[in-house]
Amino acid sequence: MKQSRNFWWPRLAGLLLASLCFAMPAGSETVAPVIDEEVQDLKAEVLNLNRELFLLEEELLFPANTQIAVFVSMDVGEFFALDSVQVKLDGKDVSNYLYTEREVTALHRGGVHKIFLGNVKTGDHELVAIFTGEGPHGRDYKRGATVNFNKAIGAKFVELQITDRELKQQPEFFVREWE
Amino acid sequence: MRPGGGDRRARTVATLATVLLLGAGPAAARDAAGLVVEDPHFGEVLFYFYQQNDFDALTHLMAAQASGRVANHDVEAELLRGGLFLAYGQHRDAGKIFNRLLADVSDPVVRDRAWFYLGKVRFQRARYGEAEAALRQVQGNLPPGLEAEHVLLLAQSLMAQSRFAEATTVLDGWKGAADWTAYTRFNLGVAQVRNEQLEAGARMLDRVGMMSARTPELASLRDKANLALGYARLQAGEADQARAVLQRVRLQGPFSNKALLGVGWADALQDNYRSALVPWLELRDRDLLDGAVQESLLAVPYAFGRLDAHGSAVDHYLTALDAFGNEIARLDVAINRARDGELVPALLRTDDPEIGRWYWQLEDMPDSEDGRYLYQLVADHAFQDGLRNYRDLLGLHDHLQEWQDKLAAFEDMVETRAEAYAERLPPVAARMQGVNLATLSDRRDAVAERLTAIRATRDVAGLATADEQAQWEILTELERSPAWSHPDAAEAREKQRVLKGLLSWQLDADYRFRSWQQGHELAALDKALLESDRGMQEVYAARDQVPEFLADYRARIAALQPRLNVMQDTVLAVLGGQQERLQLYAVNELEAQKERLLTYRVQARFALATIYDRADAQVAERGDPQ
Repeated sequence: MKQSRNFWWPRLAGLLLASLCFAMPAGSETVAPVIDEEVQDLKAEVLNLNRELFLLEEELLFPANTQIAVFVSMDVGEFFALDSVQVKLDGKDVSNYLYTEREVTALHRGGVHKIFLGNVKTGDHELVAIFTGEGPHGRDYKRGATVNFNKAIGAKFVELQITDRELKQQPEFFVREWE
Repeated sequence: MRPGGGDRRARTVATLATVLLLGAGPAAARDAAGLVVEDPHFGEVLFYFYQQNDFDALTHLMAAQASGRVANHDVEAELLRGGLFLAYGQHRDAGKIFNRLLADVSDPVVRDRAWFYLGKVRFQRARYGEAEAALRQVQGNLPPGLEAEHVLLLAQSLMAQSRFAEATTVLDGWKGAADWTAYTRFNLGVAQVRNEQLEAGARMLDRVGMMSARTPELASLRDKANLALGYARLQAGEADQARAVLQRVRLQGPFSNKALLGVGWADALQDNYRSALVPWLELRDRDLLDGAVQESLLAVPYAFGRLDAHGSAVDHYLTALDAFGNEIARLDVAINRARDGELVPALLRTDDPEIGRWYWQLEDMPDSEDGRYLYQLVADHAFQDGLRNYRDLLGLHDHLQEWQDKLAAFEDMVETRAEAYAERLPPVAARMQGVNLATLSDRRDAVAERLTAIRATRDVAGLATADEQAQWEILTELERSPAWSHPDAAEAREKQRVLKGLLSWQLDADYRFRSWQQGHELAALDKALLESDRGMQEVYAARDQVPEFLADYRARIAALQPRLNVMQDTVLAVLGGQQERLQLYAVNELEAQKERLLTYRVQARFALATIYDRADAQVAERGDPQ
């Protein structure tokens, strides 16, 4: 018996030790290696540079005086499975966006999608949004919403909101201007 | 931006904690049910964040903060930025944010989150004592999801300081979400076994080992618990209990090989080598890279030897020697491939570009020779972190290259705008000179003055149309004719009187409407003049500002260009260094595997030689020439 243990006992101890590692759910805490200090510095610098370039791009392409941003958001959205949103500004198609499942999930969770960023002159404009997807009872569903708005000096933000109308068991679509 | 009551803000803060469960749990929760977005740009950040696109989320958040577009979410934005930094591996920046929040914010809800994340940062930096201190500052304002992680992290910090008894106290009796409970029980069991409290640890591990697992992750944890308990029982010499526990491990899975090996050992512990051969022979055809399979190649002939079946023992030792030799040769090829730099790109080929943040899962290992050899390596978090850094750097390099291209386009754009400005300025200036708003304004004033006078005297003819005025003139002119008073003109005078009266009546009847109409048109004129004036001011402002804007853009582009160049070179250099480190890491791991196989080969040869020696000795004893 003793002889037999000599053969595998040390290896058993090794495997026991290996099996006694703490378990953490995927993606949870581990100790960062020292080598990533250098990478951290670099990433921080690139992130700052990235921010400046991002701001420069936006200011250059979409100056605040003429900027208009259109956002899509979803509040609950139980009666409507979103496929796509089409945006028309003053009669012209400016965006036609087909949503992926991952994006729709992000909208459900409270994310807001910037569907269009562009330029318009100051004055009165008309914005039409057409929502396409699956409505109650699995039926194809297409609805439009319109807003007339005045673009003053300063960036203009418009939100296209999909909500549920509990009483009618139907989705509702709003176009809302941000103050 | 939106009208939002205090309750809305409270809801936002209360739910933000859920938002900030950055890949922290079995549910990998990033949910924010009830979160009310009060700035669309904050919602946009969340849109990227929920898709696990942390780089874009960070970029948008940093830009939105810099341009003041998330003012209604100032604290939440900072918490989110800190959390994103942490998820992006920027522990130091994350730490600064949480420290600043603790210094500036008195809200206990925010402070608890800041302490929690600060603890997390310190833990990741292996500063366990400081992590513990931060985590102990949490005052019970964390939501359940974070609280679960908080307790687990505190226990881990204590375990890392070898304070198992305290870790046990922290974990003992704690009840959280089912998934977290399983992990917590497992860790508690492990801590207790390590702390030589086998029976207490066994109770915990047994509960995990008997649970029903809803997810592959939990099934894996269950196997792991059974394996740990089984080996602990084996080491305690409790063969029957060990066997029973190890037999609960699934036959297919990352822990099945070790379990089969252990079941064999449980039999061997009771000198039941015939039974031991059953699981050990099952291992024979499995992947030789697994340490348990390699062990089985030695264990099987050893068992045959113990059963005095020396012929079979020799056969199996020879098979083992062949297998070890082949595997060593393949490892040599893999080591050379790793040294040639083919390894890291091969590992990244299976990367999912849709997912910004990812950890290698053992089940998702690339189906290649390299992946097969690096199973153990990729299971190691340090290597995963290195690989993650490498991947992040690659992403940064691509981003910088995109900006290089864009910056060149921006430069062209600015120059084109400058040319267009220079071209358009003279005609615009000429047109502006031709516009005299002051004259127009004077004319408007004259009209207004006239209207005021008409209203003051109720001069109904003053508001007559041109035709009516002409008719009035004709009728009035008749009165000045020399023949007007002639008797023969009596009929004409009568007609003139009637017509003049009619016209006068009409003008009087229309006077109020016309007076209102004129006032209305005057107001419209005022508005038009105001618009024109504003338009002129805008044109003047544009004329003066455009050169300033263009100069500002030029200066910014000129300042960013060299930074971009330097950064690209640095990223490339660090990328190269990181790849070398990963290669070295991989080569060392492969060398260690080879070393282990070489040792096994020596053991097999030695055992074989021993059998041959014994056989020779027996032959010599018997005097048998064969």
